[in-house]
Amino acid sequence: MAKRVVPEINAGSMADIAFLLLIFFLVTTTMDKDTAYLRKIPKKVESEITPPPVEEKNIYKIVINSKQVIQARDSIIKPEDISTLNSRIKHFYTINRGKKADRELNYPYYAYGTKELYSTNLQNQQNRLDALENQEQTDGNTEKLIEQTLAAIEKWQEKLDMMNLYTEFSGKKEMPEIAFEAHVRLESFVDTDYSAYVAVQSEVQRAVTELRDEEAESLFGTTWTTMNRYIIQNELEDTPELRQYKKHTELIETLYPLRLIEVKPKR
Amino acid sequence: MSKFKKDGGKPAPAINTSSLPDIVFMLLFFFMVATTTKEIDPLVKVIPAQGVGLTDLTPFKQRSTVDFVYLGEPLKGDASKFDKGVAVQYDGLLHPDGINYIGKWKLAKFNDKPAEMTDPKENIITCFKADEKVPMGVIFTARDILRDLDFNSIAYSASEMGNKNDYSIREQ
Repeated sequence: MAKRVVPEINAGSMADIAFLLLIFFLVTTTMDKDTAYLRKIPKKVESEITPPPVEEKNIYKIVINSKQVIQARDSIIKPEDISTLNSRIKHFYTINRGKKADRELNYPYYAYGTKELYSTNLQNQQNRLDALENQEQTDGNTEKLIEQTLAAIEKWQEKLDMMNLYTEFSGKKEMPEIAFEAHVRLESFVDTDYSAYVAVQSEVQRAVTELRDEEAESLFGTTWTTMNRYIIQNELEDTPELRQYKKHTELIETLYPLRLIEVKPKR
Repeated sequence: MSKFKKDGGKPAPAINTSSLPDIVFMLLFFFMVATTTKEIDPLVKVIPAQGVGLTDLTPFKQRSTVDFVYLGEPLKGDASKFDKGVAVQYDGLLHPDGINYIGKWKLAKFNDKPAEMTDPKENIITCFKADEKVPMGVIFTARDILRDLDFNSIAYSASEMGNKNDYSIREQ
């Protein structure tokens, strides 16, 4: 049989089609990225018990008034000097870090966890749980207590794991932890500008991120920012790298927690 | 006597354009990868606030776990018709109730999705894309409504400051 000659397809209009598609995409898409500060709103708690007052040394209070003038603790910061907030917040976090005596009285203290301490606590809770489970008479209260003890065991186990991770990478036997009451308190007025509020958020974020990045760099050789970005982008996958990064960022976030309280304006 | 003979009689050789589609397709693919689709046409004027250390919301957008609320002066019409001069845009409309509508809007959006598609409430981020002059009182009102409905994740939108070292804050 004679070979059929396939006629050549005319591809002259291919460029036109491609141009059309290109222009369509140019028109319907944007280049700019959406970026934002992620925050959580605390859950509503209904209880009659007034919480005990927090000591003043543990609060870093920032107030922004309706003229965008900022008061951070006792100093007044003008809008153009807002970038000094960064170092002030870092100072608040780190002044007492590593100190056991001669602490600055007006700043949050640090607690120093050790493997022995966490192990003992874990063992104590375990013993308590055993005692509760072997009790002869049980009432409604027992179940509640067991639940509480289980939660405590989980918490101490987590702490112990973190301590082990910290010791493994830093070689230190003690893990410095800032007082759990320590927080940044951000107050604003009803007519404070959004831009001023975001600028303060930015400074708080910057201070904490820089501290975390430094710590992560010295412990793991990569920055917290890099690990965090990786986690957000690959959250749906389950790779060993992701699990490792999650553990590492968790440790870093325990060492430098971002505890920000945003207070609803009254006026 | 010239060295370069003018052969006026022959026509210029045709330029080979067979690789033109390849070039255009390459451009096309570049734009497809480097850009994101436009969400909606804005109805309010938003000049973004500046900040550093921001989180990129693109992964959240791909998982469609982020809802945008736009706050600012309306582009068309009278700003004084709105409470405090701030119009609030939900998807494609400016609601006359302003910020107080946010609860209903969030619930409607949440209930519209089929049950197997929805993320838990606390994973859905509400992103405030506010103009730099928007007063914070409006946003705190929204925060209260969202808290009561257990939509606990919020985001304050801002644009990356880049190399310049100044926040653009209105002085008074």
